Amino acid sequence: MKKVNAMDIYKLLPKRNCKKCGYTCMAFATKLLEREESLDKCPFLTEENRKKILELISPPVREVSFGGKKKVVLGGEEVMYRYQKTFFNPTAIGVDVEDTLTEEEIRERAKKIEDFVFERTGEKLKLDFIVIRNKSQDPEKFVKAIKIVEEATEMPICLATNNLESLKKALDVVKQKPLIYSATKENLDEILKIIKEKNKEVALVLSSGDVKELKYMAAKCLVNGLEDVVLEPYLDPEDVFNTVDMNVMIRRSAIERGDKYLGFPILNCPIVSYFYALNNPVPPDEFFSKEDSAKIYEATVSATLLNRYADALIIHNLDIWELMPILTLRQAIYTDPRKPQEVEPGLYPIGNPDENSPVILTTNFSLTFYTVTGDFEKDNVTCWLLVMDTGGKAVDVSVAGGQYNGENAKKLIEETGIAEKVNHRIIILPALAASTRGDIEEKTGWTCVVGTRDSSQVGEFLRKNWDRILKEWREKNKS
Amino acid sequence: MDLNAIIKILEKVGKIEIENIVITADELIINIPSAPPVKIPQTPEMKEKLVEEFKIKEPEGIDWEPPVEKYKGRIREVSFGKPKSEGGRGVVVKIGGQRALYRFEEPQPNPPVVTFDIFDMPMPSFPKPIRQYFEDVMEDPVEWAKKCVKFGADMITIHHISTDPKIKDKSPKEAAKLMEDLLQAVKVPFVIGGSGNPDKDPLVLEECAKAAEGDRCLLASANLELDYKKIVNAAMKYDHNVLAWTIMDPNMAKDLNRKLIDAGLDPNRIVMDPTTCALGYGIEFSINAMVRLRLSGLKGDELVNMPMSSGTTNANGAREAWMTNKEWGDKKYRLALWEITTGLTMLLCGVDLFMMLNPVAVKTLKKVGEKLTNKFKMPKKVDWIIA
Repeated sequence: MKKVNAMDIYKLLPKRNCKKCGYTCMAFATKLLEREESLDKCPFLTEENRKKILELISPPVREVSFGGKKKVVLGGEEVMYRYQKTFFNPTAIGVDVEDTLTEEEIRERAKKIEDFVFERTGEKLKLDFIVIRNKSQDPEKFVKAIKIVEEATEMPICLATNNLESLKKALDVVKQKPLIYSATKENLDEILKIIKEKNKEVALVLSSGDVKELKYMAAKCLVNGLEDVVLEPYLDPEDVFNTVDMNVMIRRSAIERGDKYLGFPILNCPIVSYFYALNNPVPPDEFFSKEDSAKIYEATVSATLLNRYADALIIHNLDIWELMPILTLRQAIYTDPRKPQEVEPGLYPIGNPDENSPVILTTNFSLTFYTVTGDFEKDNVTCWLLVMDTGGKAVDVSVAGGQYNGENAKKLIEETGIAEKVNHRIIILPALAASTRGDIEEKTGWTCVVGTRDSSQVGEFLRKNWDRILKEWREKNKS
Repeated sequence: MDLNAIIKILEKVGKIEIENIVITADELIINIPSAPPVKIPQTPEMKEKLVEEFKIKEPEGIDWEPPVEKYKGRIREVSFGKPKSEGGRGVVVKIGGQRALYRFEEPQPNPPVVTFDIFDMPMPSFPKPIRQYFEDVMEDPVEWAKKCVKFGADMITIHHISTDPKIKDKSPKEAAKLMEDLLQAVKVPFVIGGSGNPDKDPLVLEECAKAAEGDRCLLASANLELDYKKIVNAAMKYDHNVLAWTIMDPNMAKDLNRKLIDAGLDPNRIVMDPTTCALGYGIEFSINAMVRLRLSGLKGDELVNMPMSSGTTNANGAREAWMTNKEWGDKKYRLALWEITTGLTMLLCGVDLFMMLNPVAVKTLKKVGEKLTNKFKMPKKVDWIIA
């Protein structure tokens, strides 16, 4: 496929350089290409050129959104591998609520999904949508559950039902733009008619175990005026690679082969693997209870699909230990590789340090930095934090790679003037950098003390040891 | 028919159709006040009829072929262990050999291989949920190795860490003795690891390579920080493979491979380790490096088309895995999942060999990963809505 460059876009801009958008036209073209600015910012664009530019910059995987006040945006991807550019919209994670629960239980579970948060490296990792599951197959119960969830939360919702009557009634009451789960080859026509009849804005999931069939169904939606489509390759709980293969075939067709009928976001349902695992043998059940093994299996399947093109996942469990690895993986995969993973090296005062406060040496890898400062803040640690330029590598990686060394430490000490801020010459090293102690002492002339393995232990370490370390050092260095 | 008659009929049926009529009049007034209110659009039957008017259009010319790529290159196959007929201990394990990136293009010839980490001294610092499986064998690496085989080890990595001058400074000869005992005790092939001391490791690996002559082990590892030529020579002389370890940079991996080959190493004896960062601690850098290496290899770059290894055990260093924290739930789950997630992520980037520690993670990764040798099959519908 031909690659679009900034010049192609520039040619279609007004070329007035009025800077109403904040840039020159050429710079704006670059920003548009990088999807960092919106085309709406140009006041002088003709409708015709606007369309042409949109055509040029719209990603091969269409962006599909659903929800109300809070929205989920799926898809919008341009590349197969994150190193080629970046991935854009992080995999949205939805958790189910059964309509067979009591009113109170539905409300509670919905709130729990909305309020779930796992904080790491200064980011709040959260869940994205609620799946209302018409387990009862009863339209009345379904409708009731929808009302409760929409009253109790602001979460985007997915309506999951096999019953067309339930779907009709649901579309009458649901306030937001829902994601409908799901149409199959057998009922797509009927569902399209219902959507038409209700004249309601929706996004629709198409489900199949056959990519060609999915393509046909997507094309059918398009010719009948429904553009917000999400593709669901069936989940194979016995061999998740069958689902992975389908995800890859779909994404590669869209991105590398320019197949616009497969240029839609992908949804996968690891919830299937959970229910499967409750009644079938799965790998971890030699070690854990059936229930726990099923949760581990659900997380395993989720992580596998998250790695290969799942734009949305539906899961069942809310245990934090199951969600932590999934959310952490999502955070990693969707970190923009174009943005450096580094913080500015230098001296960071933590708390209100004075001349007697400890000096601690860490690296400028942003994950390390935010973990360390977050822990110090939580534990009221007061210190001078020296952040060394390791090219954005973590402590263990930069020790192994040789960037965490005496030369670099010496440079940092000189540049920051830390020697004038404290009346001692002691540096505390992370335990992972213990092997660099000799080198750093030799090059800097400072005394190195090996601290703890993890920054969460530093507070306790200092409370127990700092006064003694300082005293001993002073006695040794009296002359 | 006069108008009154029409109205009469209307009262009965609510609707009439008049075909082929001609009305000629100067002025025509039709007044039907007495007719009952006709609620045409509201009645359910009528509504159904309106919906039917929305005709579903069928798309045309929809065809599709699976997007199978043609790859110029292939990944080299590396084998460990030797059959009895060649004087080995009978277990042969192979990795690599892929001719495609994805299974739907061509299933992998070999499933992913797990090599269990063991150490030549007890590791009391292991988190308890992992230590519990090995507590009874930690004093004896031979028993440790046997236990790993019970847990499904395809291979075993022995880390001779007590050879580190700062730990016990055990001699290369002592390490080699242990190597002999291990080879006697179990049948699976070995990865031979040092202590990480760049001065001592080449000596330890050389001596162990000699002790394991002809058993085709993996010497871990050669890198630019140490005398890699010594390791290359030992591998060629005693018939072993070499792990080429670099920091997450494809160019560095290529550079190291070139140097090893220049030093006399057969390129078919190289396994690349471009460093595995734990989930949450830079795994995205490992993802990028591994994917790029695998793609270059398949595109035909003969200097990076070697199979890859991952130090998946690193996952256990993630604080989210090992730290005791009530808010995060029991760490026995987190430790297992951190290693599983790290390993599976690397698996999807093309890694062939996994150095692992937690029996739960090993079992899970192996069971899921062995499916990579299957052919693609269309998945069937499983209804979870009513589950």
